[in-house]
Amino acid sequence: MTEAPLTQKTFVALLDELIPARDDVLPGAGSLGIGSHIEAKLGEALPLVAAGLAALDAKAHERGVDDFVSLPVGLRASLVSEVGAEIPGFVDLLVYHAYGAYYQNPRVAVAIGLSGEPPYPRGYELEEGNLGLLDPVREREKLYREVS
Amino acid sequence: MSEEPVDVLIIGAGAAGAAIAWSLAETHMRIVCLEQGGWMNPADYPTTRHGGEMEQFGAFALSPNARGRREDYPVNDDDSPIKISNFNAVGGSTILYAAHFPRMHPSDFRVKSLDGVAEDWPIDYQTLEPWYDLNARMMGVAGLAGDPAYPPKELPLPPVPLGKIGETLGEGFNRLGWHWWPSDSAIATRDYQGRAACINLGPCIMGCAQGAKGSTDVTYWPAAIREGVELRTHCRVREITVDAQGMATGAIYVGEDGTEHHQRAEIVIVACNGVGTPRLLLNSTSERFPDGLANSSGLVGRNLMFHPYAMVTGVFDESLDGYKGPTGCSIISQEFYETDPSRGFKRGYSFEMLRGMGPIATALWGMSSGRLPWGAEHHESYDKIWNRTAGMVIICEDLPDVNNRVTLDPELKDADGIPAPKIEYTLSDNSLRMLDHAVARGVEALEAAGAKETRSEAPLPPAGWHLMGTTRMGRDPASSVVDPHGRTHDVKNLFIVDGSVFVTSGGVNPTNTLQAIALYVADHMKKNLDSLFD
Repeated sequence: MTEAPLTQKTFVALLDELIPARDDVLPGAGSLGIGSHIEAKLGEALPLVAAGLAALDAKAHERGVDDFVSLPVGLRASLVSEVGAEIPGFVDLLVYHAYGAYYQNPRVAVAIGLSGEPPYPRGYELEEGNLGLLDPVREREKLYREVS
Repeated sequence: MSEEPVDVLIIGAGAAGAAIAWSLAETHMRIVCLEQGGWMNPADYPTTRHGGEMEQFGAFALSPNARGRREDYPVNDDDSPIKISNFNAVGGSTILYAAHFPRMHPSDFRVKSLDGVAEDWPIDYQTLEPWYDLNARMMGVAGLAGDPAYPPKELPLPPVPLGKIGETLGEGFNRLGWHWWPSDSAIATRDYQGRAACINLGPCIMGCAQGAKGSTDVTYWPAAIREGVELRTHCRVREITVDAQGMATGAIYVGEDGTEHHQRAEIVIVACNGVGTPRLLLNSTSERFPDGLANSSGLVGRNLMFHPYAMVTGVFDESLDGYKGPTGCSIISQEFYETDPSRGFKRGYSFEMLRGMGPIATALWGMSSGRLPWGAEHHESYDKIWNRTAGMVIICEDLPDVNNRVTLDPELKDADGIPAPKIEYTLSDNSLRMLDHAVARGVEALEAAGAKETRSEAPLPPAGWHLMGTTRMGRDPASSVVDPHGRTHDVKNLFIVDGSVFVTSGGVNPTNTLQAIALYVADHMKKNLDSLFD
């Protein structure tokens, strides 16, 4: 059975709430475009997420606007928390997937000081360090027990 | 289908199987190794692509139950607070291990005599010392001479870099006056025997794309195959066969073609780890061995030892360099390794200091520890933990308990219909007291190093990666399964060379020791071929 796709504008707006824009450097997670990556990972959880998104839109409508996207930005977080409390697992599941998808995005990697490339094949330089710090240990008596 | 007989059949191509295969190859006996997994391709390891960190929850998860690869067999570990971690491939669990490679201590072989608990090994540190040295050369072990926690030893490669994290943690230990030292690590810190040097990719526990980590698919196996050993992959052994005289005659396995084969052999060597080996023996019943092969003692599967692990993570104000470098190999502290009765428990533990986490792991750790909220505070919170964590896992010695055991599950089976192993394990009071002490000292160490907050977890559920004791070594057939040279008491041509022969667990990673034992057993076999079955 083919599952109905997620309501994209609500999904994107929700992701932007979970991980907002980072200063002027990065847009929020949804606007960054990680939604399709997350949707592909949801599998059997797709109906749960669809229900959560529908609940967000429904509750926004109760508050006098058409849908979640139409709600003033400052009011969205509390609505997400409210729906998260009513639909167990909905927010936590998306937070888990959002964190995983967001922090593998090359733009995010560059924003936090990485190259944006996978670790291999360049690797990283690492300082050898000061082995002289071991001098106090070298001066110690033998720590292991001798066995006859 | 019956295969042409060979001289030596080795079951399992992991750490020990590789070492004994290579060592015996010089005899020019016909040697075949059967391995249920396949060859791994380093180009497929997660560090080669974006988002690879997430694969620790999927294809590169530590638990075979989470991975569900056909090469894996399921494990019923519901009745154990510590869950099994292993890997089936050429290289076995060395494909995923961290390559933290300490030796056991001399006292680890005399626990009964020294501390009045457990048993003494029938061999000692001096017996294994030349085999530790040989294994260091074959695996390419990096380290630093002069550690007062060990008898003198020389290693072929310089130590892994301290980095800023190593210096920070080391300075903390110095403030406390505690022992620390660069970890012995099976990592090529320089180009070594055709392998390129480590380039500090980070998570060694998802495979090494560089080939610098000493897994046996890139160390022993190429040399063994050049010397003529035949390695057959995707061949899952169902049982070891015996004749009416009680001698092993070979093994029945399911081949890559899905059909059963009988590989006959003059000598059978089992190297399937502390869960896989007893599983195979218990599944190899016969009229002569109704309770499992080589099990007249009733001890096959019993005395299962893990290392109860704790993990302590610290958050620092300063930016560190934790995402660089071998995650599990930096420095080790054995300040609390040897028994001190005043602590309230017997034996001791090692601090295996860890570097930091990659960006995804940082985020998920933040989520699980409540430090990384979603929403308006997310970025500020992330900046406080990204590249600002370091910590340790604590390797606590596990005392043998006959009730901790591996049996065959009555219902669960692998993809070829072979009964899966079932684990029954309870943490001892000694372990619980040791874990409490270890966590408190671990917090102390991280705070001395400058950590502003810490988070600890003990015991660590996924830490069932050291599997020992289940066919233990001894002189008395009533209280052991194999003799001091790895030969089973009951079957004169059946040998075991993996962690299952351990008598005690020590407080260190077992791979170096189990490989040294494999080399020692191989040496004895080579010197005594004409009387091997006496």
